[in-house]
Amino acid sequence: MQDKAFLKDLAREGAIAFKSGRLDRRSFLALCGLAGVATLAVSAGDAEAAANEIVMWNWGGESEKCHGDAIGKPFTEKTGLPLKFDTSGPLQGKIKEMVDSGKVTADVCDADGFDAIALGKSGHLEAIDYNIVNKAQIKEGVAWEFGVGVIFYGYAFMYDTQAFGDNPPKGWADFYDTAKFPGKRSLYKWANGSIESALVADGVAKDKVYPCDVPRALEKIKSIKADSLYWGSGSEAHDMIVNGEVVMGMVWQNRGKAIEERTNGRYKLVMNEAIAMPGAYIVPRGNPAGRENVMKFISQALQVDSQLMILDCLGMTPSNPEAFGKIPEAMQPYAVNSAMNIDKVIFNDPVWWADNGGDAVNAFLDAIG
Amino acid sequence: MSARAQTSRINPYWLLVAPAVLLVLVLYVAPILNVLTLSFTDPKPGLGNYAKIIESDTVATLILRTLKLCIITTVAAVSLGYVVAYAMLHALSHVRQRMLSILMISFWISVLVRSFAWLMLLGHNGLANNALIAAGLISQPLPFMRNEFGVLIGMTEYMLPYAVLPLLANMQGIDPRVTRASRSLGASNAQTFLRVFLPLTKPGIIAASLLVFISSLGFYVTPAILGGGKVQMIAEYISVQLLVTVRWGTAAMLATLMITSVLVLMYVLNRFMKLSVVFGGGPR
Repeated sequence: MQDKAFLKDLAREGAIAFKSGRLDRRSFLALCGLAGVATLAVSAGDAEAAANEIVMWNWGGESEKCHGDAIGKPFTEKTGLPLKFDTSGPLQGKIKEMVDSGKVTADVCDADGFDAIALGKSGHLEAIDYNIVNKAQIKEGVAWEFGVGVIFYGYAFMYDTQAFGDNPPKGWADFYDTAKFPGKRSLYKWANGSIESALVADGVAKDKVYPCDVPRALEKIKSIKADSLYWGSGSEAHDMIVNGEVVMGMVWQNRGKAIEERTNGRYKLVMNEAIAMPGAYIVPRGNPAGRENVMKFISQALQVDSQLMILDCLGMTPSNPEAFGKIPEAMQPYAVNSAMNIDKVIFNDPVWWADNGGDAVNAFLDAIG
Repeated sequence: MSARAQTSRINPYWLLVAPAVLLVLVLYVAPILNVLTLSFTDPKPGLGNYAKIIESDTVATLILRTLKLCIITTVAAVSLGYVVAYAMLHALSHVRQRMLSILMISFWISVLVRSFAWLMLLGHNGLANNALIAAGLISQPLPFMRNEFGVLIGMTEYMLPYAVLPLLANMQGIDPRVTRASRSLGASNAQTFLRVFLPLTKPGIIAASLLVFISSLGFYVTPAILGGGKVQMIAEYISVQLLVTVRWGTAAMLATLMITSVLVLMYVLNRFMKLSVVFGGGPR
């Protein structure tokens, strides 16, 4: 399957060379035959015409409107290229399959840091052009070779104030303590965040969480298995809390404010010891709009006003250090990188997850089954 | 006819069917086989993935759990379906039409909508629990949902039309005079049912059971939503291996296993009754 991408590149380079006169027609046709491209289907003009739009592959829901307003509008004003969406959710396997098949339809994917590292290693991504994207606008440590950490989200938890109002839980140790805080909990089903939370609850120091001792974490998770539910999507996590099925629920921090409002303040978000995940914008190799345009798009996503709009609309915390100080007061308790939270959270190690994530997820699913 | 003419004669009807068969082979069977060969080649060539069935606890538990839930669903759905089909058989024609329409409409409602409807009815904060608490019968909500019980309820309800239709088709094919003859020879109602009617519906029961079992093997949405994340079945596991953990070899291996099992089961089904009946053709 790798051959297909290589042959496509070969045909494309040949077409560019032919158009610029460096390759004569006979050799070009021979090259096309070699690349398995029907000559009728190849017109040298096509190879030059990169798609004149940016397709962003994200997770749908609110994000379509939010990314459109926050990044799409200013980007289109500056470059004239419209922004389109694919909202089916860029899971690692889907991106890999798309690039392997040779039919790349997305320009930028709203994925995770560990996707950037894992897929970068296997050669499925374009390297980030840091001449266009400004490294100074990215928080230290999340400007990777094959991806840019544009936002941060976190795994935090919410607790029922009616059940624990006078003695609220303060961290993961309390979350896993079913004797002191009885009731059902909910955890993330795909291991990410759940494993780290179990380690912290078991006494591991915040800076020693990675590399994760997965068996130790699973022991802890199994200890509250009888009282646990597991959610796979944001709306499931939301429903379990809003319907009162759990007294303490792990959630994606960006949903925290919305759930608090929805339950009229009954459920409160605890950001202490939250696991901060860098969300990465990655570019599949051979993206239709070309390198330059998509790098400009990523650069736009890092601008302070776009970052703050994403925070306001989706709850995803900025990665641009310039924006940290500008986070509005009302959002500060809910943001990962606000002054009050940035020292309390645990930053995820995407390299460990890239290498060990698959095994961790399988071991986790095994343990909770 | 001379022997030479016999052997060179191709049934002309094959030529009519050939284009469709070719289309299915090229566009459907070949790509599926292409993916399934991943089970032999990814990550290393050989039968390593298949060894996991015996070595890996996870895979074995998964298969057993899926089988257990599917068998329970089959028994429940076919039993309930039998009752419904029997009622429909003996109902007046216009009543039967109404029953059929209700069955069909529920059949057509999307599985996602139905799963969420179950959550609303039997969930923690749902109609049933709230009514029971309000009536003072219980103090804490009963755990109908977010566990294996909830999954079984959801799956049985979804499979009911699949069970009723083959049973009904079979029952309608039974000559009603047979039961009358049995009564006239002195058998009681119970005896007539047990010794005359029930054995005659055996092909229908087998067809319904196999249909329900095969369909429930591939269930994904209902266990994911109603199981609270704890009830993982084979279809969801395959999906996770494909998309999240990128273990394509394991996913292909499980998929091959499922397809082979289904084909074997359908071969078995064919021994008891013509497959065409299940898919809507006439009996025999």
